[in-house]
Amino acid sequence: MAGADGGAVAPAARRRRPPGALSRLVAHPSFRWGLLLFGAVALCGLLAAWLAPFDPLRNNFRTRFRPPDEVFWFGTDRFGRDILSRTLHGIQVSLRIGLGVAVLTALAGGAIGAVAGFFRRVDGPVMRLMDALMAFPAVLLAIALAAALGPSELNVIVALSIAYVPRAARVMRAGVLVVREFPFVEGARAIGASPARVLLRHVLPNAMAPLVVQQTYVFALAVLAEAVLSFLGVGPPPPTPTLGGIIADGRDFIQEAPWISLTPGVVIALVVLGLNLMGDGLRDALDPRLRTAIR
Amino acid sequence: MLRYAAGRLLAALPVLLIVSLLSFGIVWIVPGDVAAEMAGPTATAEELARLRERLGLTRPWHEQLVGWYGALLQGDLGESILLRQGVAAAIVERLPVTLSLTFTALAIAFVAGTALGTLAAVRAGKAADRAAMGTALIGFSIPDFWLGLVFVYVFAVVLGWLPTGGYVPFATDPLGWARSMLLPAATLALAQMGLFARMTRAAMLEVLQQDYIRTARAKGMPGWIVVGKHALRNALIPVVTVAGIACGVLLGGAVVIESVFSLPGVGRLIVGAIQRRDYPVIQGGLLLTATIFVLVNLVVDLLYATLDPRIRHGRR
Repeated sequence: MAGADGGAVAPAARRRRPPGALSRLVAHPSFRWGLLLFGAVALCGLLAAWLAPFDPLRNNFRTRFRPPDEVFWFGTDRFGRDILSRTLHGIQVSLRIGLGVAVLTALAGGAIGAVAGFFRRVDGPVMRLMDALMAFPAVLLAIALAAALGPSELNVIVALSIAYVPRAARVMRAGVLVVREFPFVEGARAIGASPARVLLRHVLPNAMAPLVVQQTYVFALAVLAEAVLSFLGVGPPPPTPTLGGIIADGRDFIQEAPWISLTPGVVIALVVLGLNLMGDGLRDALDPRLRTAIR
Repeated sequence: MLRYAAGRLLAALPVLLIVSLLSFGIVWIVPGDVAAEMAGPTATAEELARLRERLGLTRPWHEQLVGWYGALLQGDLGESILLRQGVAAAIVERLPVTLSLTFTALAIAFVAGTALGTLAAVRAGKAADRAAMGTALIGFSIPDFWLGLVFVYVFAVVLGWLPTGGYVPFATDPLGWARSMLLPAATLALAQMGLFARMTRAAMLEVLQQDYIRTARAKGMPGWIVVGKHALRNALIPVVTVAGIACGVLLGGAVVIESVFSLPGVGRLIVGAIQRRDYPVIQGGLLLTATIFVLVNLVVDLLYATLDPRIRHGRR
């Protein structure tokens, strides 16, 4: 995912140059801790089918509202379903949606921002549209879109992507606006490269880094927003176990069975914390100027 | 200044136009028949036809759009299908709750965030810095609606100090209002507090290296006055500029927080409308929140230009 432009150089060249982005990244404590946190939770989600002790969907009325014990580590809900098993499967859904949104907004927003920044004639209208999209609170827009499109995992991804695409577009546009003024871009034009070639071969690769950083944060925001959507009942439809959905299940029983909502919330926080830490590490590694300014 | 203000206002108009178009257009992306979805599976053909008529769905789309703008210019946002009330009236009735929540949260986030950020910058690299920035990071990583439930459990269910939810108008009982606002506003403020703290720290670190700060220190001024008066003023400029954007995020966050704390605000109105597919309310709610966002940012821009003459005389 990281633009490992400086990290893949030959060992001989590395000695003469300052450490590349990849080695800065690996050495960065935030990134390490973030990767560890995110990786651990993601692994649990990926292995849900093997790790989950019970079927996340099967009702069992003899085990309703069981507080955490040695059989049900995190308790059971009102249908007697195991919270641990449901949470593990919910992680998978959250990560699928978060990753989907991060990739989709990177592609769409990256394209929109690159075109707006490079072909100045379309800049005004395109960015006004992005401004208008950004005027809606992202979570509210996503809720309304997801409800209008109908309940499905794909529609949740589409709704969240529309809500978060202006951020990616803005970041990409800003990068392109800076890079297009560099002498090497003028050089490429001077030797007769077509505008499309200048944009794709010369400008884009040098303007990518901020987008990579931004998309890590968008991943985190999308995981949080998906939880809100599921909590309000416009996420992936039941019986799909979602982290926000489990929190909603526990909401009506907060007095009698507070454990239902507890576990999924902690898991969301860990995933998002991990992603934010990774984003901070990426930001520092890919943009050394920011490092000195902020740290 | 007047020219600058007029220019900003003119630039906001196309955005508002697109915003209104998108708000109305939300019904067009509903797959299948909007009326059938709203009426539910038990509706008769006659009921469906009546609903279609009421929503204006029997007319072609351009006529619908003209009708929407015509009504909009008269302050009419249409009729709620379920509340049997005008959408504008329903929103205005609930607006004080949402605005109370949003602005209390903004105040908490701003005060706590700048304090945390200043502390971190002054103690840069030390344990206090790490603790402050760790708090900020955790603040915007925790799902706020979940934290709200945790707060309800701890402070209302277990300790019994505060109500589990509900709203008390300020005019009837100021203390009750404060008690009803404290948990939801603190919950909503947390993420923005973290962001404010980070921005303040970054800006503060830069300002603290300026010559005029060194001069102030050199002439023997106490450290807390240098930081709290001389440095903070300039460090807050970038933080104040994002307050407008924070306002929008908080308005969006209020939607779910109002549901958690059973506050009868615009957010809960919209969530209810979404769950029951009451499209006129959804359209009106979207339009209103986005318009507030655009206007607040316009005001922030103008304030900023008033405070800093370089902005209005800059290349624009």
